[in-house]
Amino acid sequence: MKISINHKTTYNFSSNVPKLMQSIRLYPSNCKNQKTISWSIKSDKGMITESHSDALGHKIFNIYNKEIIGSQTIISKGIVETKDTSGVLKGLKEKVNTLCFLRDTELTKACRKIDLLSKKLSKNKSNEILFCHQMNSVVSQSIKYISGSTSIYTSASDSISQGSGVCQDFAHILISLARKNNFPARYISGFLMEENGNAEQATHAWVEIFINDLGWVGFDPSHNKCIDEGYVRVCCGLDSLDSSMIKGVKTNFNGDENLKVDVSISNCQ
Amino acid sequence: MFNEVYEKRRIRSVYSPVINWAKSLPESTILKRKSEAENLFKKIGITFSVYNNYDTSERLIPFDMFPRILSKTEWKKIQSGVVQRSMALNAFLNDIYNDGEIIKAKVVPADLIYKNPAYEIKMVGFKVPKKIYSPIIGTDIIREDKRNFKVLEDNCRTPSGVSYMIENREIMMRMFPELFQSLKIEPVENYPEILLNTLKSLTPKNCSKNRNIVILTPGPLNSAYYEHSFLADMMGVELVQGSDLYVDQGITYMKTTRGREKVDIIYRRIDDNFIDPITFDRNSCIGVPGLFDSYKSGNVNICSAPGSGIADDKAIYTYMPEIIKFYLGEEPILENIKTWRCSEKKDLEYVVKNLKNLVVKEVHGSGGYGMLIGSHATNKQISHFKTKIKNNPSNYIAQPIISLSSVPIFNKKSLSPRHVDLRPFCLVGSNSVNLVNGALTRVALKEGSLVVNSSQGGGVKDTWVMTE
Amino acid sequence: MLSRTAENLYWTSRYIERADSIARLLEVAYRINLIPNTSRTQNEWTSILETSGIKDEYILHYKENFKKDKIENFLIFDEKNGSSIFECIRKARSNIKMVRTAVTLEVWNAVNSTFHDIEKFSEKKYSSRDLPGIIDFVKSRVNLIRGTIQNTQLIDDTFDFLSIGTYVERADFTARIIDVKYFILLPSSNYVGSQIDNFQWTLMLRSVSAYRGFKQTYGNNGVNHMNIIEFLILDMTCPRSLMFSLDKINSHLTNLKKIYKKNSKAEEEISLIVKKFKKLSAKKILNIGLHEFLLEFIRKLYSVNSNLQNNYFFGKEK
Repeated sequence: MKISINHKTTYNFSSNVPKLMQSIRLYPSNCKNQKTISWSIKSDKGMITESHSDALGHKIFNIYNKEIIGSQTIISKGIVETKDTSGVLKGLKEKVNTLCFLRDTELTKACRKIDLLSKKLSKNKSNEILFCHQMNSVVSQSIKYISGSTSIYTSASDSISQGSGVCQDFAHILISLARKNNFPARYISGFLMEENGNAEQATHAWVEIFINDLGWVGFDPSHNKCIDEGYVRVCCGLDSLDSSMIKGVKTNFNGDENLKVDVSISNCQ
Repeated sequence: MFNEVYEKRRIRSVYSPVINWAKSLPESTILKRKSEAENLFKKIGITFSVYNNYDTSERLIPFDMFPRILSKTEWKKIQSGVVQRSMALNAFLNDIYNDGEIIKAKVVPADLIYKNPAYEIKMVGFKVPKKIYSPIIGTDIIREDKRNFKVLEDNCRTPSGVSYMIENREIMMRMFPELFQSLKIEPVENYPEILLNTLKSLTPKNCSKNRNIVILTPGPLNSAYYEHSFLADMMGVELVQGSDLYVDQGITYMKTTRGREKVDIIYRRIDDNFIDPITFDRNSCIGVPGLFDSYKSGNVNICSAPGSGIADDKAIYTYMPEIIKFYLGEEPILENIKTWRCSEKKDLEYVVKNLKNLVVKEVHGSGGYGMLIGSHATNKQISHFKTKIKNNPSNYIAQPIISLSSVPIFNKKSLSPRHVDLRPFCLVGSNSVNLVNGALTRVALKEGSLVVNSSQGGGVKDTWVMTE
Repeated sequence: MLSRTAENLYWTSRYIERADSIARLLEVAYRINLIPNTSRTQNEWTSILETSGIKDEYILHYKENFKKDKIENFLIFDEKNGSSIFECIRKARSNIKMVRTAVTLEVWNAVNSTFHDIEKFSEKKYSSRDLPGIIDFVKSRVNLIRGTIQNTQLIDDTFDFLSIGTYVERADFTARIIDVKYFILLPSSNYVGSQIDNFQWTLMLRSVSAYRGFKQTYGNNGVNHMNIIEFLILDMTCPRSLMFSLDKINSHLTNLKKIYKKNSKAEEEISLIVKKFKKLSAKKILNIGLHEFLLEFIRKLYSVNSNLQNNYFFGKEK
């Protein structure tokens, strides 16, 4: 599928920003599941420079900005051609040992309710792929999807306790459950193209679980399925904070910031 | 317990001139010199900061004038042992952040490395300048008996205390010049010069001709601030705080009255987490946004490398003998303290049975948190710890309750023995490994105490290595 | 030099100078106290608070309770007063501690030991009887610090930033002292030549340690408002005059321009002020209006100061 994406982030600052540095991981992953036909990242303030590629295969860009008044807009757009590989991640150049993704973070620590989820799973883990599907499906029913019910700092245990969340929270719970069962799992940020889909989920989050015979396999607990050609993979990490597409640090800034993200995504065939 | 001065009531030869000198000092002289020494410390400003809930105050580190002495032969063994260890530690770091041969060879378990939060994912595959991750290593050593010095701990991140090694000597030389005239004691004053050369050798890929080296400090409230400014002064480099630096287009600069100046090599004395708020702890206000990016782009070197801390993790420590053999093909010159890994079934059984006689440590903990000293614990604490260990055995190691050797201090009226340890500082450059002939001796000032930390009533001594 | 280093050096000197100024003010107050006239003494105490710019702060903490001991303690030791002598020395020390490596060991020792010694004073309960001892201590230590700077520091940019701090603080302080009492220097027929006038004028000269200098310059009969204005504002030979400080700031900023081979706005401004000052006389100042003149001067000094910060302290990025 050829997917056209236009991702626009706008920051509104209540006062002058003396200095702002941003690190951007907004380039579609270079793997065999998807081919980047065209891609560009532009900011209306400051110059974008390409920095380095990290061990997880991210192409990292930076923006160094001084004295921003008013607002800043970052636009990433382009066309990505995707393939359905039944969820299996293929050909990504990465160097990090998979066991690293057994580590828990504040956002993915297990809790009693996640322990209970774990007890619902079959005892037999010998068919890993089946077991992973089971985890995915258990998680997909563990909370209700309610947009705006959580924030970026909400942990897996917070959202399962309150019984609701968004794609980020489904992903955290699945990661937590997978790691608890000794499967390396990681958080993926990216885009999702759905016919008649929820516009809010155009920037989407899902999970990759490492399965011995297959490698990393993408599961989407908020849709209870493996990822397919509708998914564009961008960024990965231990949890959502570790996988954010744009990170910024302001120096000597005392004002408020207001963030707005617009994404338009379409099938261009 | 090994008494370093007396051997079957006879004075060991290295100590004999000093013991005679010390015994000949009238009490009034001792007291006078003591207060002189204290005034000198105060005047120079050698203090460390102490924190409590209300404010920070500065304290002098207690200094005892009776020197710790090592013969040349004893020192040579320590020296070669520390050098060996430091090379092995750097080879280990280089390996685990790249090919991981030692893990593939099943010498060190994969879990221990990859699941360890001290293993920095962001460093994987990065070519660290000159392959040196940890150029400054402080090795904590204890003396068990006449022959055996053993390693208690390696410090690969930002070990401190070297300024005391140098200043203690400075003060001893001022107060007792006669000793230095009559005895042949190896100097330690060349440490800053060697440190400077070591740092200079660790140039990043893109480096200006005149390598600009700085020391990065968290600021005057840090307990080791004096040391930071001391080293900057002795090396003739700038002592900077995060706010003095900034990164633009991947290049690190410092703000000066002339404008900006590129920085090439940073000897950082702040923790990994605080280096760069964009890459690590986003709440850090003592770091420099973009510094890690500048580092990875080859425009600046950060010493020690982020992620070096994995090498001094307590769980890794237990594998040091294997690590040395794996990379250097040599037997370790300095032994480890006997350590039981609770992750191994046989060890676990032993530990659980013998908790009363052991010290149990959490592997990722540092500074005595999550530690059990069996001989000092109540039955309730022991049974509590037993459950903790059984629930998560791989999180614990155990060691026998070690007995530190003793050296006298000038007590009110007489010399009385107190427990000491030893911390030499090893400098690993691109082409050389150096150890000055001296070290920091920490001493527990309370009778019978084994705690030598300055924050808990420990003091320091000048450490002499004799030339022959 | 790091920008922060320059800033720390500058503030070290400013705080030391401020401690010195306050000690001199206290000395005057102490003298007044020996003259038996209670109503006037009362006024003198409040005006000291005014001169050092901390009257509002005092009232905030102690209401209108203008007791001698209280005010003395407030000026010397009180932590609530950010400009007490103790606080000034503490801040001077913490500034210089940040730049330990930029100054000589002797300079550091001088500042550090001054702090430790005054800390000892502060641990005891304050009694007015200690005042002369404390004043002498502060004055002599400040001189020691200055002398040590003169004798041991290289005469380079470090020295320039240290010096600029001193003279900016001094010019500001002298200007304020004159301004608080400017009315006594006005040619008002009621007061001229009266006893009160003489007493007030003498006090003003003493509070900037310029009494003897003035006498030497103008003789015993020269005490009149025109001469005092001339002496405290325009006389290059008087180390407390505005002109003296301006000239010093000017020459140190010129040095910096040479060292860094770069023009600075601060230097341009100060040299204009100095040029204008050279054409002034006491008479002209009175024509402008003494108060107005001083306000304008303080405003200009402030502008030089903020340009100095922009030029050197904020680490211009290109």
